[in-house]
Amino acid sequence: MTSPLLPGDRPTPRSLLPVPLLTAVLAAVAVTAAVLLGPESARGALAVAGVVAALLLCAAVTVAAHAVLSARAARGRLEAVTQDVGRLLQERARLTQDARRQHEWLTGELDRERARLSADLEQERTRLAEDLAAERDRLTEQHDAATARLAREHAEERARLTDDHAAELKRLTGEHTAHTDRLTQEHAEEQARLSGERDRLAQDRDRLIAESARLAARLREANNARATALSATANAAGRMQALSTGMLADLRAMEDKHHDEEVLADLLHLDHRTAQAGRLADSVAVLTGARSGRRWARPIGMESILRGAMGRINGYQRVRVHSTSNIAVAGHAAEGVMHALAELLDNAANFSPPTAEVHVYVEEVPAGVIVSVEDSGLVMGEAQLRRAERAVSGESTGLGGLTGTRLGLAVVGRLSRRYGLRVSYRPSARGGTGVLMLVPQDILVEPDAPRTPAADATTTTTAPPVTATSASLTGTPAPSTPSTSPADETPAATASEPSALRLPRRRGTRPADEPARPADGVEPETHHATSYDTAPAERGTTPRATSRPAPAPGHSYAASRAGADDLDPDPVPTHESPAPGTDASPLSLPRRRRGRTLAEAERTRSASRTAALRPAPTAEETKARTARFSSFRQAVRATTPDDTAAGTGTTAGTSGTTPDRTDEPQSDELQTNESQTDEPQSIGLQTTPTTPEGDTTS
Amino acid sequence: MSRPGRDDAPDRLYTLTQGRSRSGPDNPFDLVTLVVAECDPVPGMQSEHAAILRLTGRPTAVVEIAAELELPVSITRILLSDLLAAGRVSARHPRKAAVPDLDILEQVLVGLRNL
Repeated sequence: MTSPLLPGDRPTPRSLLPVPLLTAVLAAVAVTAAVLLGPESARGALAVAGVVAALLLCAAVTVAAHAVLSARAARGRLEAVTQDVGRLLQERARLTQDARRQHEWLTGELDRERARLSADLEQERTRLAEDLAAERDRLTEQHDAATARLAREHAEERARLTDDHAAELKRLTGEHTAHTDRLTQEHAEEQARLSGERDRLAQDRDRLIAESARLAARLREANNARATALSATANAAGRMQALSTGMLADLRAMEDKHHDEEVLADLLHLDHRTAQAGRLADSVAVLTGARSGRRWARPIGMESILRGAMGRINGYQRVRVHSTSNIAVAGHAAEGVMHALAELLDNAANFSPPTAEVHVYVEEVPAGVIVSVEDSGLVMGEAQLRRAERAVSGESTGLGGLTGTRLGLAVVGRLSRRYGLRVSYRPSARGGTGVLMLVPQDILVEPDAPRTPAADATTTTTAPPVTATSASLTGTPAPSTPSTSPADETPAATASEPSALRLPRRRGTRPADEPARPADGVEPETHHATSYDTAPAERGTTPRATSRPAPAPGHSYAASRAGADDLDPDPVPTHESPAPGTDASPLSLPRRRRGRTLAEAERTRSASRTAALRPAPTAEETKARTARFSSFRQAVRATTPDDTAAGTGTTAGTSGTTPDRTDEPQSDELQTNESQTDEPQSIGLQTTPTTPEGDTTS
Repeated sequence: MSRPGRDDAPDRLYTLTQGRSRSGPDNPFDLVTLVVAECDPVPGMQSEHAAILRLTGRPTAVVEIAAELELPVSITRILLSDLLAAGRVSARHPRKAAVPDLDILEQVLVGLRNL
């Protein structure tokens, strides 16, 4: 046990200092004496050794003094600690004695307390045992009394209940017997009534069987009547289609003929009305399953499709088209697409405010072309959208549930089914309803394709359904087409189908025919002149007698068609005919037609001079020149004020003839033909070119 | 040519002009007005407008345009006024000297009759 050093334990430097100092002084004296006493020669070394020895002595004396002082301090501390230990031992002995005394006192106290508690416990136990015995005797007595009382009460209760039971049993038995009797009686009555009912039902059954037979007969009749009405409607619709197509062609020709702006405005108005009527006829035809409209011989560009659709609705001026697409729809499907679009546009225009615009967007996608029609009119609810989509899906082909306003959607449904269009409705961002119509890729044609073999293949592959449709139509009890026409009409109409099929090939072979013509001399010219005659006649501008006897053998179809148009008020195959008509000369005809008058004039006046003059310019140059000249002349004549007054001239078909030779008979003819009309001048407005020229010269 | 034959296209004349059938009173086009294109056709244009712009690369008379398009002159004039209003064509009248006098016309007529 080492206690920390007390301050007095370590010897202080002050207590150490005197001894080394004294030693140093003594050593210095001794060294000095030794140096002085030593020989002169060894004085240096002696001094050095003396000084070193003195220093070592001083150090040794210092260390020794330090050790002595430390030992003295340690001895003092040891004595103090020894005294402490003795004191502590005495204290422990005292404490041990105190503890033993305390223990003895507590033990005695505990024994006394235990003896007192044991006495108390014994006393209490005795008292409780006495109480318990008294209580047990009292309870036993009470129990006996209660048992006797309960036995008595139980006997009384049992006697009473037995009596009640007997009385109840007797009463219930009586009631049961009465009820059984009543039920037996009712059962007998019910049985009698049911047998009567059965007889009556048997009679009803016989009556219903008879009724069912009668209704079946009536259903058959109604079905027959429906089929008949349907075919009659289809027939009428076909006729109406043909009429409107013919009227549209007439109107188009008149629009070219009449240059007065007032007349043109009226003609355009009529044109618009007729186009709408034609759409209605097309709708009826589609709904009755007849053929749809006319077929185009060539693909129709998307712009024309959209404008054709617009032209058939009332509010076409509110339709805005946004389209940069150059894609075209194959000829056989163009009419259907146009018709479906027209119905969608009509819906959009009708169900939007009269001033709101309807926007049409065309977008080419890999699957085809999407035409979206967006209006800002009524917002269709979810249920209405679903119903409209169901209507345009073409799933239900029945005519039931058609109403006047839903007609268009049903038509769209039929057309979608036929041509694979997909129509869907959605709310439009413009606030109204948007319709998306997907025109599938297989009825689309690239714009430059018509003359490529691929387009020809398309046309020929799509042609068989055409003949199939017409064949199935002619098989129906009341066919809408050729059989109702006059006899001379039928071969022409039937001939139109194969020629329509052959169309691309004939078009392709035409350039080969072209160079051979000039070599034939005069003959090709008459050939051309004949075709010029028949082409406007096929348009059906006005009835003409001169075009009928003229047909050349090569154009017998067009000639007979033209004659049929004039004879028959119902030019049924007109919707098919433009294909062969344009087929005769699809590209060169329009340009040449304007030169027709001059060519005919030359031919009728002097064939020899014509033959002499012809070879000098090439045929193409002459045509171009005459076309430009005649258009100029027509335009000049249109603005001449006395043009309408002098408009009793000949028709376009014979306008090339000189007035002094053929003018009178033809005007007579016109008057006889148009004696019913109020204003023959306005109808036969197209005059010979010579009449205005005569006015100019006079 | 966009229209190879009469009534061989489904679009009706009134759809070409949005229903207008007469040109405005200040329409500068008469039959012999020369029309020159001021720009090239752009995609998205009405096909007749594009055809007119192609035709009038050099000065062309209104009647010639009408003949080439096979449209009535009135309709052509409406189309031309649209283009003029948009600044895509310019129009000018031929000089007076270009119109021959009536004597020459009469002589031409006589000559034509003698053909």
